[in-house]
Amino acid sequence: MTDEPLLQETPHPSATLDLTRRKESKPPAPPRTSMARAGRAAGPYAAMARIVQGPLARSRFARSGAAMLAVIVLFAACADFLAKSPTQVSVDLLLPPLTHGHLLGTDALGRDLFSRVVHGARTALGLGLAGAMVLVALGVAIGALAAFVGGMVDSIVTRAVEALSAIPTLLLVLVVGATVEHPTAATLIWTIALTRWTELARLVRAEVLLVLGSDYVTAARALGASPSRLLRRHVLPNAVGPAIVAAAFGVASIILAEAAVDFLRVGPPDTMASWGEALGEARGHAGAWWLIVFPGMALLATLLSLNLIGEAARDALDPRLRMESPGSTLEM
Amino acid sequence: MFRHALRRVLWSVPTLLATSLVLFFVTTLAPGPSDPLPRFLNLDPQDVRALAKRALAHVAAADPSQEAGKRELRRLGGAALPYVLPQLEALAPDARRRVALALAPLAERMQLPVGADLARPEAAVLFWTRFWDDRGLDFSAVAVNRAVTRLVEHGTDLRESDLIVLDTLALPPVIRAMANTTDPITLARLTEIASNASQRGAPLSAKASEEEARRAAGDWREWWFVNSTDFVALDGVDRAIAVVTDTRYGRWLKRIASGQLGVSAIDGEPITRKLLARAPITLLLCALAMLVSFALAVPIGAIGAWWRGRAFDVASSVVMFILYATPTFAIAEVLRRLTATEAFDSARIGLAVSALAAGSLAILSRWQRTAMLDIARQEFVRTARAKGMRNGRVLVVHALRNALMPMVTVAGLHLPALLGGAIVVEEVFGLRGAGFETMRAIESHDGAWLTAVLVAAAIAVTLGLVASDVACSALDPRMREVLATRHGRRLR
Repeated sequence: MTDEPLLQETPHPSATLDLTRRKESKPPAPPRTSMARAGRAAGPYAAMARIVQGPLARSRFARSGAAMLAVIVLFAACADFLAKSPTQVSVDLLLPPLTHGHLLGTDALGRDLFSRVVHGARTALGLGLAGAMVLVALGVAIGALAAFVGGMVDSIVTRAVEALSAIPTLLLVLVVGATVEHPTAATLIWTIALTRWTELARLVRAEVLLVLGSDYVTAARALGASPSRLLRRHVLPNAVGPAIVAAAFGVASIILAEAAVDFLRVGPPDTMASWGEALGEARGHAGAWWLIVFPGMALLATLLSLNLIGEAARDALDPRLRMESPGSTLEM
Repeated sequence: MFRHALRRVLWSVPTLLATSLVLFFVTTLAPGPSDPLPRFLNLDPQDVRALAKRALAHVAAADPSQEAGKRELRRLGGAALPYVLPQLEALAPDARRRVALALAPLAERMQLPVGADLARPEAAVLFWTRFWDDRGLDFSAVAVNRAVTRLVEHGTDLRESDLIVLDTLALPPVIRAMANTTDPITLARLTEIASNASQRGAPLSAKASEEEARRAAGDWREWWFVNSTDFVALDGVDRAIAVVTDTRYGRWLKRIASGQLGVSAIDGEPITRKLLARAPITLLLCALAMLVSFALAVPIGAIGAWWRGRAFDVASSVVMFILYATPTFAIAEVLRRLTATEAFDSARIGLAVSALAAGSLAILSRWQRTAMLDIARQEFVRTARAKGMRNGRVLVVHALRNALMPMVTVAGLHLPALLGGAIVVEEVFGLRGAGFETMRAIESHDGAWLTAVLVAAAIAVTLGLVASDVACSALDPRMREVLATRHGRRLR
């Protein structure tokens, strides 16, 4: 993967992210007319699994993103072995990098910056994953329900989606953090998960409505398929694509939100080692460039890897989503 | 077209209501003093009549809560008298005496000419019976309104003392009059009546500045919103409406809809004025950032897509992708450090706009690129080329025109992100806009400001979405069907 130039020119009629294709790309897969037809041979999720193993695994975006993410996950997992406690203070204040056994220097309280960055990976990924799980579960469940039940439920969900999208996430997170009595990291995760499922629910709803209107579902109905079978066999497999994409961007959004809130110094007090907090504390120390560069790079690398994976997943799993969701629209 | 626009605007009303539900929930998360009101449905709205009757029953029965009943009767004051004094006759003699004695401090508050004998039960009963016979006619809505109107038209001590006698019964028209008058002397009289009746707050001095007068009037309106039902009798339709409005959500919504956002906990300034002073800076930032990022994103995305895979496309894609993963606060912080300008306001605004625009640019250029790629595949583009049109002309005349359409929608969808980003850049660059003020409000737990700013942001975003949808359907009639399906009708 490293022996090839990262970006190549390969005109392809259906590729928007053609930067990701290889020149010697595999013969194009047979056109996918419907997810269910492909899935009939080997279970409803087979088509999705094939795409994940095939185009997605070959995509350069996904590969580089996954490689970066793997390194970060490794750091997060081995944080205790690799680094000292991120909260231990010392008398070595504001040491530049590579001095006195501090690989990345120390901050204004004499804490080892390397430890803070490494432990920050754990905080960021943990919060991001936890939040994204709730977010995806809510989005898929509500979106599928709205389309499947229709009528009143659908109208209510549509209204709720619109209502929630009108509230700026960062502002909401800040206000909730200020009004709740004892804000914790969980408060932040729940706030984001409970308000940001809308994007995914909208996509899942549209997807499911298309599926429900398709001929093969009519055929399945005519053959006497029960609603629960329709749901399991035809509806939910079609929600997997948007869900994977939303999960990748969801993790990124939550990490970004957490970093922004901590940067503004109003974050929950229990996220001790957070990149955002490190960046926020760096604001008062104009000369200490390392305080902003290293946590910033760690944050950037994490977000970049997640975005790469999300983009690749979207292109591979559902090209129709491209104009629907441009990724995380959080700006913080 | 007009019908479509109208429908879109009307559809935003239920959306806003739903948003308000969310915001109400969020802003009342704080554990404040426990509010006895139900959240959404008040099946038995309590008005002054119900409260007075309950207090009267307690005092008359001399049960354990009779002290609380006495206090309640005195608090309700003049507004409760029409429901208390006519009942005196029907009570047992000792119950009658107890009630009359409980009301004695009220006579003092009303500045009635009483002898020292009001402490004697018999005299008190006689006094209140006579009082109601003499003055009962004054305790009607028409008489009260007339008295207040006369005071506002021409204030004299006599007219003021007339209203002092009416006590809390005069509050509704008095508070209403406060909002409509700017004359400091009238306002001083009105606040004196109100504070005498409600035993709260100091009356405004006649020499108070305009600023103080406005603040006091706002403070009274604020108090009235919370407590009005304690002093007003609800009848018929009012009572039916109160089932919905006399709830925590109902009052919250009523206050917001009428612009009663309260006063700031930081400096006591009315929130509405503060918001009007701060919001323009935030809106200016957002508008400039939107302008700059669109001006750059459209050509970058369009050119990149048109000459796909060329050096420019690759380079811009890589840059945009990295920019896309960079948090706005990091960009802002780096910009601030690199320039280190403290002095010039315009320079700081410029930097803030660049930081805000950088994040938007990354997203918008990716949208533009995708939209352009879609259009470039269309047959009319091929036809235009086949006619022998120059490539650049096809790009501008045929492709870009169509590829700009989705960007109108994007502009609306991007608003919440911009508003969120504005908080960060205002904080980093120290611009005193609404975002900066929000951070101060968070530090000092200024709930009124936070509520106001959330509502204002939600309204701004909703309006932006409506505007972008209407613009979209005005530019492209095909979009009307698409938008209609998004609102209500199902996709088929």
